[in-house]
Amino acid sequence: MNDSTIVTDSTKRFKWVGTRPIRPDGVPKVTGRAMYGADLKLPGMLFGKVLRSPHAHARILKIDTSKAEALPGVKAVCTAADLPEQKNEFIGPERVAVNFWHVTRNILAREKALYEGHAIAAVAATSASIAEEAASLIEVTYEVLPHVIDVDEAMKPDAPLLFENMKTRGLATEPEGFSNISKRLEFVVGDIDKGFAEADVIMEKEFKTAAVHQAYIEPHACVAKMEADGQGEIWTSSQGHFQIRALTAKLLGSKIGDLRVSPAEIGGGFGGKTIAYLEPVAAVLSRKSGLPVRLQMTREDVFRGTGPTSGSSMWAKVGVKKDGTIVAADAIFKFQAGAHPGSPVMNACLCSYSPYDIPNARAVGYDVVSNRPKAAAYRAPGAPIGHWAVESVIDMCAKAIGMDPVDLRLKNVAGIGTPTIAGPKHAHAGFRETLEALKAHPAYTAPPTGKNQGRGIAAGYWFNGGGESSATLQVNADGTVLVATGSPDIGGSRASMAIMAAETLGVDYNTVRAIVADTGSVGYTHVTGGSRVTFATGTAVVNATKAAIKDLCKRAAMIWDVDPEGVIWEDGFAKPAGANVGDFKPLSIAELGGKAAATGGPITASAGVNAGAQAPGFGVHLVDVEVDPETGHVQILRYVAAQDVGRAIHPSYVEGQIQGGVAQGVGWALSEEYIYNNKGLLDNPGFLDYRCPVASDLPMIETILVEVPNPVHPYGAKGVGEVCICPPMAAIGNAIQHATGVRMTDLPMSPPRVLEALSAK
Amino acid sequence: MTATVTFTAGFARKYTAGVREFEVEAKNLRGVIRAMEEMFPGLGHTLEEETNVAINGELHETGYFQLVPPGAEVFFIPRIEGG
Repeated sequence: MNDSTIVTDSTKRFKWVGTRPIRPDGVPKVTGRAMYGADLKLPGMLFGKVLRSPHAHARILKIDTSKAEALPGVKAVCTAADLPEQKNEFIGPERVAVNFWHVTRNILAREKALYEGHAIAAVAATSASIAEEAASLIEVTYEVLPHVIDVDEAMKPDAPLLFENMKTRGLATEPEGFSNISKRLEFVVGDIDKGFAEADVIMEKEFKTAAVHQAYIEPHACVAKMEADGQGEIWTSSQGHFQIRALTAKLLGSKIGDLRVSPAEIGGGFGGKTIAYLEPVAAVLSRKSGLPVRLQMTREDVFRGTGPTSGSSMWAKVGVKKDGTIVAADAIFKFQAGAHPGSPVMNACLCSYSPYDIPNARAVGYDVVSNRPKAAAYRAPGAPIGHWAVESVIDMCAKAIGMDPVDLRLKNVAGIGTPTIAGPKHAHAGFRETLEALKAHPAYTAPPTGKNQGRGIAAGYWFNGGGESSATLQVNADGTVLVATGSPDIGGSRASMAIMAAETLGVDYNTVRAIVADTGSVGYTHVTGGSRVTFATGTAVVNATKAAIKDLCKRAAMIWDVDPEGVIWEDGFAKPAGANVGDFKPLSIAELGGKAAATGGPITASAGVNAGAQAPGFGVHLVDVEVDPETGHVQILRYVAAQDVGRAIHPSYVEGQIQGGVAQGVGWALSEEYIYNNKGLLDNPGFLDYRCPVASDLPMIETILVEVPNPVHPYGAKGVGEVCICPPMAAIGNAIQHATGVRMTDLPMSPPRVLEALSAK
Repeated sequence: MTATVTFTAGFARKYTAGVREFEVEAKNLRGVIRAMEEMFPGLGHTLEEETNVAINGELHETGYFQLVPPGAEVFFIPRIEGG
């Protein structure tokens, strides 16, 4: 069903870009024949099982694997001792600052179990039941330690320390003591005190969010087959098989070139499958047993052992003039990193104010470890959390001065040349156009009028990504085309890559087949994440296609015996550039493909890019809710999401991304949360008790695709998959406030919590 | 051709004795990195490994090949990754 509005001022007309061809991955998926991570079975394959910690925090005194090894059918047992030690240093970017000392300890615990579900050891056996029994025979002697779950508690000086040697980074001077605070960040622009002194109204509030999981349908799974010479192959469901190859090689102490990783079909990722959990363990078990090993998680393993996004504790303050001008903003973001450093708190600092032109602003972030699974990326990691706080306080300001919330945002809209809190000025527009598109939508002038009903508005910003991608294009003998990229398809990229190749070549989309190739068959490609694929991998595809066109023209010139400069490519045909070249009948791609051998061999072209100058995404959402005052249940009545999408290459997929982001945001807002008991154990590691929204919880989500093309991309594409999850929580919180007069501060705004807030009114 | 190079306060405190802004002569980012390396040995590697760059507001991974127009504003910022 398509309920979207497309707002565009484009005068360009495309043959395939902007159309909605049938998805190429549809038939295998709906017929159940698509091969996911757990579907591969190799001859002689063993079944693995990971033993996980039953404690939130415990010192590992001894691991005795002898009984497990003695069980008939068991072929290998491994612990952290089978992986090389790594240096305790933060390598690379601050946001992800990879510290392999921590990474290897998250894969298999060493000195301590740091959360319930932490992997301790693993076995491989001839059947899944033997593997399970063997895992239960591994005897681990623990010294149970005090634990800490809550981020505010973890920051206290007397909190149980996860790492007795961890000092807070990012302070002006090195601290003397040790702490669970891994890092402090601060970004400032202008003069905060002066800014607030100019404000007519200042609003501030404290907020909390729960840790929420990406809740992909497919649990993690892989098969590893290592050879005696050190070479190996891995089949895995991930968002980046090149990333899995690099991480696995590093953790095993292998050479990157010795590993080949093939992508399985993927059943959702949303950021949570950009890192390795099982692959290094499966590789060790395979190396020790000499046989292929499959490891897969149960749903409980996924909840207990893989990273949700951070929960948080925050404070935000915004000052406005009576005319709606925002003069100052300040915020503190404290993020749970889980058991190892590395929350996305920096993104909250950098994104929360970015839709706006605020002359005086400060954002302080804390990255804090606690006895939870290590946080992983989740759709615009960090940004939705920061937006929950800041967009709620902006709504408070709008109400305090009696201004329409969209008008207040328009008054302060960031445009080209507006400085961001990190320093650089915005180089792309899109937010104003998105706000105006929402104002022009029929929903805007039809607010809810029923009892206990209310409307909320909130905005969001995400950088979007670029970076390294590769593509290879082959022209077959019948003129059909193969496009191979290294980007796992989690959002429809095979269709969009084929569309862009078909558009560039001027051929029928149905003659172009796009595939996701393994690490041995296409050049390095960074993960499918950061809303980067349509932009970066799309650029590689277009570049490879242009190179192929050049080659096709050269071959036509050879056939016609003219100079290559005398041939142009138009609408899928090689044609003489002018009458002076000669009177030749245009050659189709099929005719040229059929002559490939005679004109020099296979027609193939590759391109690699490090794509930059990506444009960010802006979104603004409108939601109407009804709150049941007797139960606290919040019903979503209407949801409209406007988003700057650059150019919708395949609009159905763009709508799907936005609708999916909103649906996940609704879950984050109303029902999803990790619930821990007083022993630090997760009480709801399954979909019965961890409540994701289902179809009956949601109305049809209406989308407005606002096309403000990025001039750097061949077809104007911008990332679309992440900014859509930034506004929903604040939009719904603002709507609840409008409906009930109660300002909610803690997520999820579940029925008991809403009821409690209403009771306290 | 002169470009203005700027660092965040935290980065400057750690690597450039708190100085946040520099004027450098460079045609591309390789030239910028080389100029900063000359002033602060080791900084070039750090810029390559730990930062993204915005050239006149346009975000890029920090590399050598990006052109730096005359009068450009070059901001090095912590690297960003998404989901």
